[in-house]
Amino acid sequence: MSRKLAVVFLTMLILVGAMGLKTVVTAHGDGSAIMANGAGPAPSTPYKNGAGPAPSTPYKNGAGPAPSTPY
Amino acid sequence: MPGLLVNFLWLVGILAEAGVVVCALKKGAFRRYLLLNLYMAGLLCVELGRYKILSEYGLKSTQFQYFYFYSDAILTIFLYFALCTLYSHVFSEMKAERYVKLGALLLLAGTALFTYAVVQQSSAKLVTHFVVELSQNLYFVGVVLTYVLWGAILKLRETRTRLIQLVLSLGLYFSFLAANYAVRNLYPSLHTVFIPLVQICGIFLPMAWAYAFWRLPEEARLVPSRLAVIPR
Repeated sequence: MSRKLAVVFLTMLILVGAMGLKTVVTAHGDGSAIMANGAGPAPSTPYKNGAGPAPSTPYKNGAGPAPSTPY
Repeated sequence: MPGLLVNFLWLVGILAEAGVVVCALKKGAFRRYLLLNLYMAGLLCVELGRYKILSEYGLKSTQFQYFYFYSDAILTIFLYFALCTLYSHVFSEMKAERYVKLGALLLLAGTALFTYAVVQQSSAKLVTHFVVELSQNLYFVGVVLTYVLWGAILKLRETRTRLIQLVLSLGLYFSFLAANYAVRNLYPSLHTVFIPLVQICGIFLPMAWAYAFWRLPEEARLVPSRLAVIPR
């Protein structure tokens, strides 16, 4: 039983650590996706294409500051 | 359509992914690292599909966006389970496979719940938002898991060269992507430099794995660095 509880504790610890790391890395993020499986070009995320101002795709960003995410 | 350099790097990446599967099959390591190889085979198929959709509809098309992010989420889940099998390999002598499976499922469920809790506040495209966010969150879980696994490898004095090569290359891949993203957003003017680096990173992982399967036999062992000679 204690082993199972240790597994649960470790799992929660890893989850908290991972989300903390995500917060640190994406603190200044422009809302674009980080993960890229494969070497192909990545499009902008589809759920940002609404009525609100959408950030440009990661491949088209220029030197200007990126707008905040609309959601 | 993307430029010549992007297409060239993409092609090299696809060839490297095919190389992993071929090397694993040739060296008889396909079944031993089944999920790693299935991930690579899946990635290869997805890359070919992405190329077809991109050439038909274009980079900014909705079709490409949806295909890209939904397939990416599936691939990330595959990569997550592949990473868990590396845990099983490292802890195989401790007979801890049951606990690894339990931990993997709990962590996946916890990540999904956390993602849903964050995403449910979004008003539109809930499923798509969930899929993309789950993929990103699992990616960060993968980063932490790889570091924990590396710690376990050091602690257990693991000497299997191929296994160490697979874990280290995965750790480098994850770390580089995260660092690249952070630096890219800190220095937006350097976007043109950092974006091709993402693609190069996408080539690095399959190349490192192909090298591990091709050049490092399963029996190869590293010499532990802290061997002590005890005088009698």
